[in-house]
Order: sequence, then structure tokens, then C-alpha cells
Amino acid sequence: MRAVIVVALIGVAAAGCSPGQQSAQQSTATAVAPVPAAIDGGEGKQLSALAPATIARLAKTKAPFDLTGNWFIDVSQNPEAWRFGPPYPTLTSASQVHWDAAKKATAEGKVYRDDIGQCWPAGLPLIMTRYWPMAMVQIPSAIYMVSGFMNSVRIVYLDGRKHTDPDIIVRTYNGESIGRWEGDTLVVDTVGFRGDHHWMDQGGVAIPAGEQLHIVERIRMVSDGKQLEIEYTMTDPEHWEGEWKSTKRFNRVDDEDIQEVSCLPDLNEHIRSTTSKTQVLQ
Amino acid sequence: MKKLLLGCAGVLLATSVAPVLAHHSPAAFDRTKEVKLVGTVKEFRWQNPHTWIEVLVPDEKGKDVLWGVELTSPTYLIRAGWKSNIIKPGDKVTVVVNPVRSGEPSGIFRSLTLADGRVLTERPARLGTPDSK
Repeated sequence: MRAVIVVALIGVAAAGCSPGQQSAQQSTATAVAPVPAAIDGGEGKQLSALAPATIARLAKTKAPFDLTGNWFIDVSQNPEAWRFGPPYPTLTSASQVHWDAAKKATAEGKVYRDDIGQCWPAGLPLIMTRYWPMAMVQIPSAIYMVSGFMNSVRIVYLDGRKHTDPDIIVRTYNGESIGRWEGDTLVVDTVGFRGDHHWMDQGGVAIPAGEQLHIVERIRMVSDGKQLEIEYTMTDPEHWEGEWKSTKRFNRVDDEDIQEVSCLPDLNEHIRSTTSKTQVLQ
Repeated sequence: MKKLLLGCAGVLLATSVAPVLAHHSPAAFDRTKEVKLVGTVKEFRWQNPHTWIEVLVPDEKGKDVLWGVELTSPTYLIRAGWKSNIIKPGDKVTVVVNPVRSGEPSGIFRSLTLADGRVLTERPARLGTPDSK
């Protein structure tokens, strides 16, 4: 009997991942009730987003859309659309020093602090707009994203959990993302970033991303499910003033899957621009 | 280095600038220049995130200089007709690159001409749009 229940719950989970369900993309649902607090996993522990009980509880409410698929930044109109500026916000002095140093280095034909090129993670937001597709799998309790760039993993929890206590959170380059539905929009709130070797841009523009970075994404499915639109609102009072806003579109990619990609120890020995005299590493 | 560029590796003026697909900053390359490398394949690595070729190019004194050529990922090369065995060590090739600004023997790929005259390029990194096919 227990086995039967487990199988049934896994079936529910699998149904949430089904490509067949995504064809509807924008359901007729106009509002989704707020997700109740996550079920206690015992002794105060958060029940996993992949626990069958979590998935079964949340599967009772249909999500406004299912973004399961491969997505690629739309650069058809602008090859620089992977950047989040210009326009750029007004920088603080802590950022301005890096901005100026990068401009100076570029004028001298050099590359300033290109940590991604040195195999550090791109991190949010840049990981979303790399020139490799992002695979996304949505189940009722979470969205699992794996970038075709270094297989960077990002998880957006939809199970009603709160952000982790800052005293115990393990800071990461993609941060901790928690989503909630507002009508036909998925609003994702992300904090908990690492503030070292983490940048908001690349290629001659240097603006650091710090531990105070806070990113809110408003995600909508548009163009009959062929495009995702994500409106970014980003704050980091250590590095810029006010809100930095940027809206991106991503195209659905149905004829390509992501692959295993690693920044292997010998990669840069052969990608010699990363080790050339043009690099300003510190 | 300058002599090398003027000798066996010819400097061309770039006529178009393709988007750079790389895990690293594109700022290292001089996209206004092209260098034509006529030499022999030393190694060809078909891998993610980048494919790369090392080519031995003789300078004006006949001494081989090892050039590193950085390419996009196999995803885009396959779409442009490449295969993992399309070149191998010892093959005579002509490769056009945008060189790094430092003058070191390294560049990012523009085109490959095989010994039989076939010319290979890359496919733009625009998945999900008609011109990525």
C-alpha cells in the first residue's frame, strides 16, 4: 500500500514536469491563492521541495504557467542584450573605482578583473543571459534551472518558505530565490549572494555585486509561450543608488539541450587570451 | 612578434565583427584586425565550453610559432557543419583569427580553410531564432 502511495505521488511530480502540460503555457487561471507555510519536516526542519508530500500539497493548485523548457536570451535585435546596462545606475564610490579602472584598462587594450574568464561563477544576474541556453524544469514546489554555461544550478522555491536566517545562510553566486504568483506573473525574490569575484557586467564594464544585492524578477510568459519576459529590479546600496531596472526577453529553444560543461583545470592553458598579458587580475 | 605578423601570418582588416561567444571577456581581442595563419594543426580539442585549435605557424626564419585559436562551443560548430574529426594533428590549414591585443600568438576564430579548399565558419549564438538553424 505504501509503495502504491509513493508511486502515485511521484506520478504527480512527474506530471508537473511534463512537456505536454507546458503547451497550455498561459492557463485561464487569473489568480493563485498564496502558498501556505511549508509543512514542517519534523523538529522544525523545512520539508524538502522534492518531498512527495510537498509536491502533492501544491499540485492541487494549477500554476498560471509552466516555464519548463530551454531558454536563451533574445539577442536578435541587439547582440549586447545580454548586458543589464546601459543605462547604468549612479554608482557609489565603492563601485566607481572599479568602473574607472575597467575603462582605463580597456583604453590600454587590457581586460579588468574578468573573474568569469578565470572560472569563477557568473552568478545572478549574468548567469541568466550567457550565450548558452538555460534549462528550466518546473514542478509545483520549485523551478530547477541549470545553465548550459558551467552547469550552474539555480533553484526557485515555490513552496511558501521564507528566506534563510542571514546568520546561517550559505552565500552563493546565484543566491537564494523564492517565488510567488501574482496573477499571471511569477515574482522571484533573491538574496544571499556572495560578494567576492561577483560582477554585474563583463567586457570593459566593472560593477561589483555585493552581499547586499537584492534582485526581484517579475516573470511573464509572452508570445504564446514562445518567450519569457523578465523584468529585473536590482538594488545593492553598497554599489549603486536606488533601483537598477532592466527587462529581458528569452526565446524558447526546442531544438537543443544543454550539455555537461565545466571550467576544467586545463581550459585556460589553451584559451590563452585568459592568461595573456592583457589580463588585469587584481 | 610584429615581424611574425608581417611575415608568415598576414594581417588583414576585419570587414565584419561577429558576436563573441566566450566564457571570458571579449575585450582581450582586437576585433578590427584579422590575422591569417597558414600552418599545421598541433592539437584540436572538441569540448565545452570552448573548442580550441593549436596551430604551428612558421615565422619568417622558418621557426614554428605555436598559435592558440579559441572557438565557440560544439553546439554552434555542429550547426555550421563541423565534426569532431574534421581536422587532426598534422593537417595543413589556414585559420583566420582576431588576435589578442597584447600581440601574443593567440586569437579568436573567424574562419578555417581545409587542405581541400572547404571553408568553415561558426554559427551565430542565437538559439531560438530562425538564423540559428
